[in-house]
Amino acid sequence: MFALPLIFFLNLLSTPGDAELVERLKRRDPKALGQLYDRFGRVAYSVIVRMVRDASIAEDLVQETFLRVWTRIGSLDTQKGSIGVWLVTIARNRALDYLRSAAARERHAPDLEKIERPSLYQDLENDILRSDSSRRVKSAMEKLSPNQRQVIEFAYFEGLSQSDMAERMGQPLGTVKTWVRAALNVLRSEMGVAAP
Amino acid sequence: MNCEELRDHYDLYALGIAEEPECSEIAAHLERGCEACRKGVQKAIELSALLASTAPAAEPSAGLRRRILASAGVETRRFPWAPVWAAAAAFALVAAVYFGFEYQRAGEEALRLESQLRQEHGEVARLNEALAIISGPNTQETDFSAGQPRPPRGKVFVNPGQGVLLIASNLAPAPLGKLYEMWVIPKTGKPAPAGLFQSEANGTAIHIQRGAVDVAATAAVAVTLESEQGAAQPTSQPLIVAQLSRPAGGR
Repeated sequence: MFALPLIFFLNLLSTPGDAELVERLKRRDPKALGQLYDRFGRVAYSVIVRMVRDASIAEDLVQETFLRVWTRIGSLDTQKGSIGVWLVTIARNRALDYLRSAAARERHAPDLEKIERPSLYQDLENDILRSDSSRRVKSAMEKLSPNQRQVIEFAYFEGLSQSDMAERMGQPLGTVKTWVRAALNVLRSEMGVAAP
Repeated sequence: MNCEELRDHYDLYALGIAEEPECSEIAAHLERGCEACRKGVQKAIELSALLASTAPAAEPSAGLRRRILASAGVETRRFPWAPVWAAAAAFALVAAVYFGFEYQRAGEEALRLESQLRQEHGEVARLNEALAIISGPNTQETDFSAGQPRPPRGKVFVNPGQGVLLIASNLAPAPLGKLYEMWVIPKTGKPAPAGLFQSEANGTAIHIQRGAVDVAATAAVAVTLESEQGAAQPTSQPLIVAQLSRPAGGR
C-alpha cells in the first residue's frame, strides 16, 4: 500500500498549469474538479491516512477536503494563489479536526479555518514542493535527533501542542520547546526556507 | 503583543498547535492586515507544507474520485448517503414515499442506512433539490413502471424551471467501466444527454439533471447503459423509458 514515495506525487503539487486550473474551478468547469483530484488526491490521502490511520475515515476526510476547496475556490487568487499548498493544508486540518476531541479543541486548539484563509496562500514560493525539496526535507528529517524528529511528527501528524507533547513524552515543557525550536531551525536551514 | 514577540510562534500557528495567548494574537494581527505577520506565517506555511512529503505515499480506493465528483454535484454517479440527520430525514421521506409502496421494508432500510450517514456533504442540498422538483407546482410526474416488461421501476419528475428527477429501484449497479446515462428525448430531434449516474448496491438510484426543460417539446426521458465517459448519443437499448404523455402542470 505504501510502495510509492510521496515525492512522486508532490512533484505534481506545483506546476505552471495551476493558474489555469484555478480559473477553471472558479468557472465551475465540470472537468476541473476531476483534474484537481487527479493532481492532489493521492497527496491529500497520504497525509490524512498517516494521521488518522484508518482508510475509510481518511477517504471521508479527503472528500471533505475537496468539497471545501470546491466551495471556497472563489477566494483564492487565480494568479498568485498556491492551490497545492492550500489544499494540503486543508487536508491536514480536516484530519487534525477529526483527531482532536471536542475537549481538546475547546482547551487549546486554534481555529484551523483561520490558517486556511486563501489570502495566506498567495505569493508563496512557486516551487516550494518541487521534487528536490521533498527529497531534502526527508534528508533533513534524518539529521534531527530522535527527540527532535519525534516532536515534529507529533506536531505535524498528530497536531499535539507543546504542552501535550511534554505530557506525552514525560518531559518538562521547556525541554520540549527547545527540541521543537531546534528541529524547526534545522529543517529551515536544510531546506533553505527563510525564517519567519 | 508586537510582531517581534510573535515571531517564534509563527511555525506553531501554521502547524495549528500555537497556544494562547500567542495564537489569538497572531490571528488578530492577520485579521487587521499586519504585513509582517502575514509574511511570517506564510514562511511557516511553506515549511509546514514540506512536512507533508514525510508521509508514506498511500493510494485511496478507486471509487473515491467518483464519490467526490458526485458529492460536489459535478457528476451524479453514485448516491452518497449524507452525514447528518437532516439528510436521514429527507432520505427517509423520499424513500418512504416513493419506494415504500412497492417495498414495505424501505422505511426499515432507510433507518438502517442512517447509521452510515457520516462525514459526507452535499447530499442534503441534492435531496432538497429533489424535494423541490417533486413538490414544484408545474412538475409533471411519470411512472415508468407500468408496461415495463421487467424492472427497473420508478418515477420521473420533470419541472420546467428546475430540471428532471429520476427515482428508480431494481436497477442493478452498472458494471465496471459502465455508468447509466439519462436522456431527455424531444418530440423532434436527437436525444439530449442528461447526466451520468450509478445505482446503489440495493438497486436504488436518484438522479437529478438541473436546468430548464421545455416540457411541451419533450416526448420522454430515457436511461441507457453507457461507457464511464458517457456518450453524445445513446449507444444501447434504453433500460428505462418514461413517456411524458400529460401536459405540463398536470400533477
